[in-house]
Amino acid sequence: MSPAKGEKLIEVQHLEKHFKHVEVLRGIDIDICRGDVVAVIGPSGSGKSTFLRCLNLLEEPTGGHIIFEGRDITDKSTKVDVMRQKIGMVFQQFNLFTNMTVLDNVCAGPVLVKGMAKADAQKLAQSLLERVGLGDRGGAYPIQLSGGQQQRVAIARALAMQPDVMLFDEPTSALDPEMVHEVLDVMKQLADEGMTMVVVTHEMGFAREVANRVVFIDEGVIQEENEPHAFFASPKNARLKDFLSKVL
Amino acid sequence: MFSWERLGQVWAKYSGMYIGGLGYTLLVSLVAVFLGLVLGLVVASGRMLTLSPRENAAAKAVKMVVKLVCTAYVEVFRATPMLVQVFIIYYGPGTLLKVASDTTMNRMFWGMVAVGLNSAAYMSEVIRSGIGAVPGGQMEAARSLGMSHWKAMQHVVLPQAVRNILPAMCNEFVTIIKETSILGMVGVTELMFNAQSIAKQTYVFLEPYVLAAAMYFVVVFTLSKAISALERRMRKSVTR
Repeated sequence: MSPAKGEKLIEVQHLEKHFKHVEVLRGIDIDICRGDVVAVIGPSGSGKSTFLRCLNLLEEPTGGHIIFEGRDITDKSTKVDVMRQKIGMVFQQFNLFTNMTVLDNVCAGPVLVKGMAKADAQKLAQSLLERVGLGDRGGAYPIQLSGGQQQRVAIARALAMQPDVMLFDEPTSALDPEMVHEVLDVMKQLADEGMTMVVVTHEMGFAREVANRVVFIDEGVIQEENEPHAFFASPKNARLKDFLSKVL
Repeated sequence: MFSWERLGQVWAKYSGMYIGGLGYTLLVSLVAVFLGLVLGLVVASGRMLTLSPRENAAAKAVKMVVKLVCTAYVEVFRATPMLVQVFIIYYGPGTLLKVASDTTMNRMFWGMVAVGLNSAAYMSEVIRSGIGAVPGGQMEAARSLGMSHWKAMQHVVLPQAVRNILPAMCNEFVTIIKETSILGMVGVTELMFNAQSIAKQTYVFLEPYVLAAAMYFVVVFTLSKAISALERRMRKSVTR
């Protein structure tokens, strides 16, 4: 049973994260609904990546609640491994498994986590690789691919788990400029297909054109949130104005 | 002074003792390295336990103690000479606990244990750094797919760590071959012990030891070269 479009998928309630003596997140509140494409922007060190990593508990929140599909995942009784199967994650550094071929990378989730038969997983993986334009590279090892190709494989790998939401942590920041668009194109296609996405990014073009909501995080709190047109055309928060004047 | 003639005579008369001694040297080294590997794995796992905020206080306390014990073990064995360790183990548990009625066997057993315990301390560090050298993003990516910590270790981290660990482990074996020479001090009839007996019997001192050195050299040099070749091949592999 999957919730209908527009239904709340993730409710973040006063999320806090402290590292030793540093307060990185100081109370984040946001609801992410099915079909949302949320672009998260902000200066480096603002806590936007930490926020994203809290959503699948790669970072353990130190305060607040995250309700995912009706379950409080910050509750200690929640099975983290089960919850993560529904949340895809794409990293800045791709993090493809270097000991596996591209095809095996994409098969890894379905086979090792869901117990899918190898042949079925390979069929699924092949179709996903074709979807990201790499149908002919299944036999290659990650190191033999360009950064843009690796990131597209990473997206396919996350999609293979058929997640309900995809998290992107600066997916194009480690890429050479000419490879950025091939990754953004795949992400745009995903968004068009209705995938719920939370994207931490410095790509203002993507935020403006693909996202339906843009969030500005600074000093560990959401300073401003709006639909993209108004967000960029008439920012209200002083910090956001300053930030936009530097990046646009 | 050194004479080739005497060397030839010693070899002609005692070649059996040399070859037998070398056999024991290799046997003791192999067993010790195997013991070191198994125990090293345990110690390395103990030191790498992670404390998750999701666990209860009792589990955390147990983990802390295990970590502390494993760390202490490694530090103690790395900061004391192996000769001292061998003596303590041989004259301590080795005399209290006779594992074999035969003295030679008993010495051999405790010699292996002593070198194995020493080796485990070094091996655990080799394993730990081999695993530590796998980028953290690999584990994170595996966990993000929903893999458990152990499954991620098994399918993603360890296969990559083995490439870092294997050459260093072979080098540890080579080192052990040389270090077992001190087991002669507690009467294990390995290569060095036999060379010493020959010297004492014949009153010829230089040549018996030169012969022992030659035998160590042939074995250790050959193995080292083989390991370098293995390392080169692993580095070339595309999966790296």
